[in-house]
Amino acid sequence: MVRMTELTPSLQEAVENGFNPTFEGKPFVLGPSLSKRRVAVVTSAGLSRRGEPLFRLGDSSYRAIPAATPASELLMSHVSINFDRTGFMRDQNVLFPVERLYELAAEGTIGSVAATHYSFMGAGHPAPMEPYAREVAERMKTDDVDAVLLTPA
Amino acid sequence: MSALAYFLEDEGLPTVAVSVIRLQSERLGNPRSLWVPFELGRPLGTPNDPVFQKHVIRSALELLEAPSGPVLLVDYPHEDPSAADRDDWFPPFNFAESIPNPSDGVQFAAALEDEMQTLAPLHRAFVAATRRSMVGESGMDIEGCRRFFLAYLADPAATAAANPMTWVPWVVDDLRYYYLEAMLSAYPVIPSSRQLEGWFWDRTGLARGLLALRSKLITHNDTMTRFVGERALLPGPQRHRLGL
Repeated sequence: MVRMTELTPSLQEAVENGFNPTFEGKPFVLGPSLSKRRVAVVTSAGLSRRGEPLFRLGDSSYRAIPAATPASELLMSHVSINFDRTGFMRDQNVLFPVERLYELAAEGTIGSVAATHYSFMGAGHPAPMEPYAREVAERMKTDDVDAVLLTPA
Repeated sequence: MSALAYFLEDEGLPTVAVSVIRLQSERLGNPRSLWVPFELGRPLGTPNDPVFQKHVIRSALELLEAPSGPVLLVDYPHEDPSAADRDDWFPPFNFAESIPNPSDGVQFAAALEDEMQTLAPLHRAFVAATRRSMVGESGMDIEGCRRFFLAYLADPAATAAANPMTWVPWVVDDLRYYYLEAMLSAYPVIPSSRQLEGWFWDRTGLARGLLALRSKLITHNDTMTRFVGERALLPGPQRHRLGL
């Protein structure tokens, strides 16, 4: 469990004194009921598929991960080694829950699951990430996505 | 607001973030966040527990139906039951009892090879059971990783590519994941992440070698090599636990 008192002192300091970006306005987009939404996962855990370029220090770009990608094809090259890997080792759904989304769709909780999901590597500066994030948004809109579940590492 | 949440929402896509550090969520001011009291790296909680994970996801997605905002920040009320240490887990190997000092290159290399051969059938069992592995970042097989690590430990300057940050972390990840995956299939009880990492860092020759490498790199002349030593070898929680 993670509360401030349970973080290492260096990470506490990073959170307390770290860079907090500010943006113009506060967009807040509404949509249809959950049972009609098409949901995509966007994780900042630094996932890529085997054979693709891995995330390197300072990489603000993204990887597109088709929904049918088997867990055996996923690698995690996030440059931070300060978070647990053994949960993901046992079950990719702890941070990339596409299988769970399919189950929620089958149960009728959500409408459907996006054809493609996305990964960035968190903890970077927002400015270089912006064009990639907006590109991902366009790709998701083409896929009729109208709900995004953001998961960290 | 986190960059991703802002840019996606600004493009017209409704977002909800699962958050593992509450203060960060308070400061970022995402449109919608569900704070979960789970460890870093497991934002949906318990591995292989679909019921638990779906409850977390539902709790997050339901925030999308709130009629007004931002900012919505809700606390998830349940702990991750898999986070607790298991007092019925007994790691079957304590390699550290017999591992030579890493400065004794030949003997240390032989001991490391023996250690990894001991773990090899357990790693094969993990892959057979799960049909996956996180090993594979470096592009080398695990023997190649071991040889590369030993060569780098012996002389960082001799094996340094233009930027060690581009490959040392991947070799180290592959080696560490190999050990942790092997240990996950070594005993019928699944330990907590703290227990697994504690075993690795306290009881394996590889960890002893990594700590020796770290000692070398953190005083290195080259900035990026020093960065590798400080940031890419020893996870923060272990650095804190070991007082390094």
